[in-house]
Amino acid sequence: MLIGIDVGGTTTDAVVVDGNKVVKTAYVPTDHDNLLKCMLMAIDELVQGIDTGKIERVVLSTTLITNMIAEGKTDPVALVLIPGPGTNPKDYSLGESIILDGAIDFRGKEIDRLKESQIKEAASQIRAQGLSRVAVVGKFCQRNHAHELLVGEILAAALPGSKIELGHKVSGQLNFPRRAATTMLTAATKDRYEHFAKDVARALKERKISAPVYILKADGGTLPLDKSVQMPVETIFSGPAASIMGVLALTEPGQSCVVVDIGGTTTDLALILSGKPLLSAKGARVGSLLTHVRAFAVKSVPIGGDSAVAVSSQGCCGCLAVGPHRDGPPLCLGGKGPTPTDALRVLGLSQIGDAAKGEKAMQIVAEGLGCSAKEAAQKVVDAVVDKIVFEVNEMFREWEQEPAYRIWEIMKKELLSARSVVGVGGGAPLLVPLVAARLGIAAMVPEYAPVANAIGAAVARPTLTLNLHIDTEKGEFSVAEEGITGKVSDRKMTPEEAERLARRLLAERAVRLGIGEYAGEAEVTYSEVFNMIRGWSTVGRLLDVRMEILAGLLPSWGRC
Amino acid sequence: MSSQGKAGKTGLIFFPAFDWAISPTHPEREERLLYTRDQIFEEGLMDLPAIEEYKPRLAEKKDVARAHFCVPDVESQVTEAHLIAAGSTLTLADALEKGEIRNGFALVRPPGHHSMRVVHGNRGFCNINNMAIMVEYLRTKYGHKRIAVIDTDVHHGDGTQDIFWHDPDVLCLSFHQDGHTLYPGSGFVNEMGGPQALARTLNVPLPPGTTDEGIHYVLDNLILPVLDDFKPDLILNSAGQDNHYTDPLANMRFSANGYARLNEKLAPDLCVLEGGYAVETALPYVNTGIIQAMAGLDYSHVKEPDYVPGRFVQTAEMKREIEHTVAQVQKIWEQRDELVGEALEGAGDFYRRKRRVFYDTDMINENQEEVVRLCPDCAGYMTMSTSAQRGYGILNSAFCVSIPRKACSSCRDDAKEEYAEHVDDKRIGYVLMQDKDKDRFKFYNNMTRTERGY
Repeated sequence: MLIGIDVGGTTTDAVVVDGNKVVKTAYVPTDHDNLLKCMLMAIDELVQGIDTGKIERVVLSTTLITNMIAEGKTDPVALVLIPGPGTNPKDYSLGESIILDGAIDFRGKEIDRLKESQIKEAASQIRAQGLSRVAVVGKFCQRNHAHELLVGEILAAALPGSKIELGHKVSGQLNFPRRAATTMLTAATKDRYEHFAKDVARALKERKISAPVYILKADGGTLPLDKSVQMPVETIFSGPAASIMGVLALTEPGQSCVVVDIGGTTTDLALILSGKPLLSAKGARVGSLLTHVRAFAVKSVPIGGDSAVAVSSQGCCGCLAVGPHRDGPPLCLGGKGPTPTDALRVLGLSQIGDAAKGEKAMQIVAEGLGCSAKEAAQKVVDAVVDKIVFEVNEMFREWEQEPAYRIWEIMKKELLSARSVVGVGGGAPLLVPLVAARLGIAAMVPEYAPVANAIGAAVARPTLTLNLHIDTEKGEFSVAEEGITGKVSDRKMTPEEAERLARRLLAERAVRLGIGEYAGEAEVTYSEVFNMIRGWSTVGRLLDVRMEILAGLLPSWGRC
Repeated sequence: MSSQGKAGKTGLIFFPAFDWAISPTHPEREERLLYTRDQIFEEGLMDLPAIEEYKPRLAEKKDVARAHFCVPDVESQVTEAHLIAAGSTLTLADALEKGEIRNGFALVRPPGHHSMRVVHGNRGFCNINNMAIMVEYLRTKYGHKRIAVIDTDVHHGDGTQDIFWHDPDVLCLSFHQDGHTLYPGSGFVNEMGGPQALARTLNVPLPPGTTDEGIHYVLDNLILPVLDDFKPDLILNSAGQDNHYTDPLANMRFSANGYARLNEKLAPDLCVLEGGYAVETALPYVNTGIIQAMAGLDYSHVKEPDYVPGRFVQTAEMKREIEHTVAQVQKIWEQRDELVGEALEGAGDFYRRKRRVFYDTDMINENQEEVVRLCPDCAGYMTMSTSAQRGYGILNSAFCVSIPRKACSSCRDDAKEEYAEHVDDKRIGYVLMQDKDKDRFKFYNNMTRTERGY
């Protein structure tokens, strides 16, 4: 039996899955001040009458880190940058930072040396500010870790008890400001996350649940809770990821669809193309910071069942606005103002809430628009559907417009079209058919749509990424994510050999992260090779391989 | 004309054609923009709010035919990589005209500025002229009248010069390393354009070893004042990067900072990458600097690892030589109207020019004769007889006719007659018609007796 729990914005949803069957579901209102408590409440409700010994796995999807960052409850961090030549670091919106001399170039060659006295000065500055967490990030340090390592060493010696995060351990991808932001966020959330992870482990032990506990990441993959403390930022936006994994679990394999998750105040849109959820080309944006966190391409539209409906008095006949804010629950459910939920009630599309109150809500709108309540309701629903349809089309357009750097990418990027709209979330059953009709494709609302997120968490398999960079002229390879470097002897190494090396390194990494049994699922998602020519001869090759275990479902689910 | 002060972003298309090369060890190979990719991605430039990245598109064959006579046809002369590089410039041109961006940089390869009006193959690493294709597109689609193309590549922009040789509304100004010492061996002060467009082609040959100081002297004392006089609707930069002091194919001493400052002062509306072959030591830094300068960002932190300000000092002799050349070109520019008047006086009804063109990359020898009608009512139609032999291989010959925008009826009729006369003439392989006025293009094959059009 598998347990999946998604701590969402308004409710915490939980399920027990056995094989390919949903055995039990539970809902608890989310208490933002005590996420652990509501999670445990959900578990307690769920396991009543269930043999906890038979639980094989527990997966949590939590808004902990997202909330922590949104509410500014992260720990203060000293950011130490080694930017080298290029952009003025002030042009990055990274906040205050200490800038060190020293530089590494794109080949990983040292082009400017560190100054030890400057590093020591930085240490006293950090001490004077009373900071005990430090993020050290250098440009191109993923190609040569020496500078970050040395700065880290000197700072650690000068600042006993401090915690130091190095950029190259956080991400191996190009983009220095994103690496800096991701490293800074890691340092800022690690302690509190670790605390939370320990609490969870203890609480489950108390409940005699000894199954391994996993956490869901933004890329729809799971990671053992105890290992995830190394990369807490990866757990942001796991809510939308849970829903998308849920849709993957509840629909036929290999299909292409638009995922529409209609909640109270926001609607999340995502794409599944040929059975694979579309990943964002770049990392996620967390608050004002752009990061390297791999995440599904999710578009949040500020519209939902509880969105406030207002009629502005501009012009003669009034202008209808739905959202973006929420003024409390729908009028038909005891709220104060009109909402799309009231409109659906009036049109007879839903039986939720009080009919008379719904009518009253639409009367308010009707007065502003100068029409009947029923017409007003229709206009409100049309406005919601219009907005969602517009954003779905925008999402396709944006995806088609993503830059490509090779001829085949431009020639082969066919226009994939979705076959259906799959709705999950509270507002889905009523609105998704209308959206699908407008898009001219089929609508589908799966049986367990309201708990799709929890199902997604329950049956998601682990994901893992490894970026391998090889420079055969220098005879070196480096794996950025772990700060591993090594030697290669063959100057004419082929992409196939590089991919074999990547596979071996990924398998080793998977074992270290406790997900060794999934290493076989890894695939090459990016591979490039360049001959380095100096004069008229080939002096070496640059090879880059990204190997990934992509988001997928546990084999035991095998629903369809 | 200057883009400064206009709100908006800098549009950027990065198309390194990582799967296209002339040959594996050729300077124009896959690796060329690899380290530039690494640098601008690592800098996170695409994430900055001042910069908007666009996706390239394929240029249409018609877009190519508007600028070139491709023999025997466009398909035979271009690969997808060429169409994407050219199409990238058009995407940015559209974004600029729609007001989405205030300026743009097409960081693309393969380059184009050595491609002339007639294309039999690859010359100087170029098959089709991205810049010229963009200029013709901007004029046809958006009706721009005056456009200035400033060629800042170390090699003379002979292809662009050739395409706009007779066009008084396109100013082609190229500064470059002296043609006595570098490919393509042209670009001297006395190359000034056809009789109707004299001094709208300006060439500034510079001595090998010219530094930031010398190039900025040319910019401040010649290029910027000429632009003030010419008052173009748009300023375009054929942005080669091989004036750099580390370039393996040339001998100048320009720095990344010098390039950035040049683009800041020139304030081009659109930049198109041309050459530049110091793939590790120059391109990553020069491109970063140009992007920053265009986006109004601080470029003072861009510095080649081995560069120290004041590293290169110009000799007094070099300084005198540059000042002398600038003075010569200034004089030509000042006398532009008299020059045209003199040239047209007693010139007759037609202007003729016979030339040989050598395609170094493809080893092709071309003979051509260009005839332009000196029409009092319009720009005058043009014909071009061309024959070219590739090594000892086949001889491709063509007769090409071009009808200018806003052609008078007499020129249009005569041009059509010329086309009709050469169709089915067995001595010529192909007959081409470029009707810029109606934006229609025809290719007739005299051997198969078939016509195709775009």
